[in-house]
Amino acid sequence: MNGIARFLKKKWVLYTLLLTPILYLLLPQARSETEFQADPAKYLLEYIGLSATILFVIALMITPLRKVFPKSPIIKAFAFHRRQIGVSVFIYALLHLLIYFAYTGSWSGFVKDWEKLFILSGIIALILLLVLAVTSNNRSVRALGGKRWKRIHRLVYAIMFLLIYHQATQEKTGYQETAKIFAPLLILQAYRIGLYGKRSLDQRSNDKS
Amino acid sequence: MRILKKKSWELPDSAATSERDYINRRRFLKAVGLGSGALLGHSIANAATVGFPSPLNSAYKLEGLEPTPYDLVKGYNNFYEFTTDKGDVQELANQGWKTEPWEIEIKGHVDKPMKLDVNECITKVGGIEQRVYRMRCVEAWSMVIPWDGFQLSKLIDLVQPTDKAKYVKFTSFHDPKSAPGQKGGGIDWPYVEGLTIEEARNELTLLATGIFGKPIPNQNGAPIRLVVPWKYGFKGIKSISKIEFVTKQPLNTWQALQSREYGFYANVNPEVDHPRWSQASERIIGSGFFSSRKDTLMFNGYSEQVASLYKGLDLRRNF
Repeated sequence: MNGIARFLKKKWVLYTLLLTPILYLLLPQARSETEFQADPAKYLLEYIGLSATILFVIALMITPLRKVFPKSPIIKAFAFHRRQIGVSVFIYALLHLLIYFAYTGSWSGFVKDWEKLFILSGIIALILLLVLAVTSNNRSVRALGGKRWKRIHRLVYAIMFLLIYHQATQEKTGYQETAKIFAPLLILQAYRIGLYGKRSLDQRSNDKS
Repeated sequence: MRILKKKSWELPDSAATSERDYINRRRFLKAVGLGSGALLGHSIANAATVGFPSPLNSAYKLEGLEPTPYDLVKGYNNFYEFTTDKGDVQELANQGWKTEPWEIEIKGHVDKPMKLDVNECITKVGGIEQRVYRMRCVEAWSMVIPWDGFQLSKLIDLVQPTDKAKYVKFTSFHDPKSAPGQKGGGIDWPYVEGLTIEEARNELTLLATGIFGKPIPNQNGAPIRLVVPWKYGFKGIKSISKIEFVTKQPLNTWQALQSREYGFYANVNPEVDHPRWSQASERIIGSGFFSSRKDTLMFNGYSEQVASLYKGLDLRRNF
């Protein structure tokens, strides 16, 4: 366990893991898929978008997982990388937007669809991710002060709801895929809220006695 | 220490089939012709085979437009009966789903209802011909496909609809054992589509039994499917097993599923957007990453043949 955790803590291991979705695209198998040959821009658009969403879910699962398994060295290793994972979500989302630009084919086509809630939700999420990404360094924490920095970074929950909407709207029948992606995160977050509620209740009854 | 004790109902290991016998069983099944080859239908002739090679109808050859590569036409399919993954339909639709023999039932307000095999049907209408049509998907991509088939109006003339027949309702097959997508997916199977009787009689409306001069592959809707080139692709119901002549407008599957996004008419119209994307332009399948889009044409370029059908109809409301 500790060996794996020590391995996971290494920077190059983290970067390799974060690059896996792109490394996969370099394999000939990926590019021989009919969907890639039929419409590479659409294929990449969906693929990179999904990678961003999954990385986002992983990033947000780390803190509640630490509450559930406080002693796990593996989760501690992930917690150690949490900010880098968050920044990589932004990079994938930005890539997703650039591919979307190529997919629409022109500036006018690109801008025209912004009025649609489906597209707008993604763009707002990306802007919020940008705010979090540029304030993700230690200097920003110091400059803003811990409390204010934390408050700003609570924006991830707004991003979470935007992403759920964005992901769910692109599904054509039902919401099974979105449910599968977000269920683990939502369950963990609900558990965390429950834990928090119980603690504050305990505290209140302690105050009374 | 933990001691494993077998429960009374547990069998001793000696009762299990040995690997040797298990493998022999497989060999036996293969020998009697029940192996995967037979069960998966790889060696079975599929689709309707009558009428090939079909002569090209030069009135519909779309001069100057290159057909989409055959591999993409048969490898990039929306056929939710199998999967929602366009790239996987080809494999899943060829794992034992039998499209030959295939019976079609024609009934409702007609003088001569009939129930016949698809090959017999082709013979009765006088064979098939080839036509090259543009095909525009509601998802804003397009292909150019040489279809083999016959004009639906020929079949309509055979069954002789009565005055009560205002719409034609098409129903696809229902076989969840062969079509895994029909086990759920939030859709009320089987797939249903409809046309007005005038649309069904239009010269462009085709029942296709082939593509590229060959019997139609399962994933493209074998053995017989509808092709209505001025409408979005989802109107082209695949693998038809029932055609009914009815008085009331049929509720088509996509409208039943999402009436805000998909209507009954589904005419290709660059001016009426889908709620989630623009329909003003389309991506050309097989043309690469940076290929610019091309502008979508009103009625997919078939205004001359069909615009008169919709005179006085508000196309923004009747999308």
